[in-house]
Amino acid sequence: MEFKLEAHRIVSISLGKIYNSRGQRGGIKLHKNLLVSLVLRSARQVYLSDPCPGLYLAGSPVPPPQPGEPAAGPPAGWGEPPPPAARAAWPEPETPPERPAGPDARRAVDAEPAAPGAGDTLQGGEEPAGGAAAEEEEMETGNVANLISIFGSSFSGLLRKSPAGGREEAEAEESGPEAAEPGQICCDQPVLRDINPWSTAIVAF
Amino acid sequence: TGGRRGPDIISTVEFNHTGELLATGDKGGRVVIFQREPESKNAPHSQGEYDVYSTFQSHEPEFDYLKSLEIEEKINKIKWLPQQNAAHSLLSTNDKTIKLWKITERDKRPEGYNLKDEEGKLKDLSTVTSLQVPVLKPMDLMVEVSPRRVFANGHTYHINSISVNSDCETYMSADDLRINLWHLAITDRSFNIVDIKPANMEDLTEVITASEFHPHHCNLFVYSSSKGSLRLCDMRAAALCDKHSKLFEEPEDPSNRSFFSEIISSVSDVKFSHSGRYMLTRDYLTVKVWDLNMEARPIETYQVHDYLRSKLCSLYENDCIFDKFECAWNGSDSVIMTGAYNNFFRMFDRNTKRDVTLEASRESSKPRAVLKPRRVCVGGKRRRDDISVDSLDFTKKILHTAWHPAENIIAIAATNNLYIFQDKVNSEMH
Repeated sequence: MEFKLEAHRIVSISLGKIYNSRGQRGGIKLHKNLLVSLVLRSARQVYLSDPCPGLYLAGSPVPPPQPGEPAAGPPAGWGEPPPPAARAAWPEPETPPERPAGPDARRAVDAEPAAPGAGDTLQGGEEPAGGAAAEEEEMETGNVANLISIFGSSFSGLLRKSPAGGREEAEAEESGPEAAEPGQICCDQPVLRDINPWSTAIVAF
Repeated sequence: TGGRRGPDIISTVEFNHTGELLATGDKGGRVVIFQREPESKNAPHSQGEYDVYSTFQSHEPEFDYLKSLEIEEKINKIKWLPQQNAAHSLLSTNDKTIKLWKITERDKRPEGYNLKDEEGKLKDLSTVTSLQVPVLKPMDLMVEVSPRRVFANGHTYHINSISVNSDCETYMSADDLRINLWHLAITDRSFNIVDIKPANMEDLTEVITASEFHPHHCNLFVYSSSKGSLRLCDMRAAALCDKHSKLFEEPEDPSNRSFFSEIISSVSDVKFSHSGRYMLTRDYLTVKVWDLNMEARPIETYQVHDYLRSKLCSLYENDCIFDKFECAWNGSDSVIMTGAYNNFFRMFDRNTKRDVTLEASRESSKPRAVLKPRRVCVGGKRRRDDISVDSLDFTKKILHTAWHPAENIIAIAATNNLYIFQDKVNSEMH
């Protein structure tokens, strides 16, 4: 429980840093944003892996996976995910209950707390980076988790806006970090439909 | 010296190869060069102190219209070229552009032109009745600085380091993802020698944080990463040095795992020893000495401020955890130095294994006063002058320090103040 609150706090702080970095003079600092996104990933993993049924208040019913959704595939980002057991083992004596390591673990754990409507229709058991499939999974665990996945799923998606017409692909990618304008929403997902007391920090986003 | 924030915050400090000159760069794009006064028998108290020698504007803020991006004028690094004639040369860089500056002295000027008068106006020829040979007369010393080369458009990402090769003909510049090799005389071309940019930026897991050429072997260089590893590369092995010759990496201590493990293991600075046998790295909490012959782990690890380990979350919140501290060797490679918070800096004697914490502040730095060692208490017995961890001032950070190449003279940049300390008595530490 404590891990979850601390993780949530760290997620909020991290998202704030990423947001603020886009208006920074001199352009987005790649190094700092990478580090922040790594912290975000760690916190998100702890947040999602710590089974605390009482905290899943949002409980909106799980939408069935869209037919066009990409199937679960190899992790799309972040590189090698560390074994979940290592992530969850903080210096504190208490550790989350045993869970099998590997991509399947998330499916098993998330099915539990999302009892109100989850079912076993979850896809995308791979690492945080998975695209829409992972977002799908997140929808039913609350708005905070939704935002976590949106910002965690794509490092470049976070920093990049759609390249203006006429630019080369490579150039557009490289100019991504610099091309993002302050104040621009970096994804079009309809988010934050439900206002939750402890997600208002992120609502301000 | 003005307010805490602002354009005169010192962003880099570097002695030249003899230690006669000391250059500082600041956030406003200015470079200030200090020169050591020769020790004079007539004034024994002016013991080779440093005075301002020259000041010039190196970089200006720029705007990249294509990317809608402002380029900061802050000087990230200065590196001196070895002196090859009467002039001095240095490289200074901001995030995107490196410039070569030539510093010359003028202490004579010609007088007695036949065709011009004192102000340079043409004389009326009818008044010229005889010819004279112009003579050089002494004048007040004038230091002239001119930009000799501008190395632009070599980097997409932010330049974090530059290093002059021992061949004195080439140098390298490193940004987050790439390292380029330049020839000092050629500005329209550079060779890319390291490229760690992934095909898909979503796969990005580490960036280059610092790089340096080996002091003696012109084919070797090292670069550090945000994951805490060092890669030694040999330019003779391949044109593109993506494959390292040696990888220096210490396995992580699992008992120290936290949300912030990755951040605090990121290497902020790497420096070869003068001997070329060792490397010094700085990460957030430690400095480490690595032997080039041993890749598995550092041979020495020194705790700079381990009491911050339990405060990482707060330091993440206030951004201090991203501070990039530099490190330095003394001339004989026996002592290493690095900065910390509260205007403290730390020195570690590798032989005696003793360490000391000193403070750079106006109060403790009356001229010719001896620096008093400081102590941070972490609970337990507290001595009179100890500082508690909670009363450390995290806005006073010493990120940039430099050690004279031969003598016990150190330059400490504390925000917008430069402190120069000299050890006149002996070279032992208290």
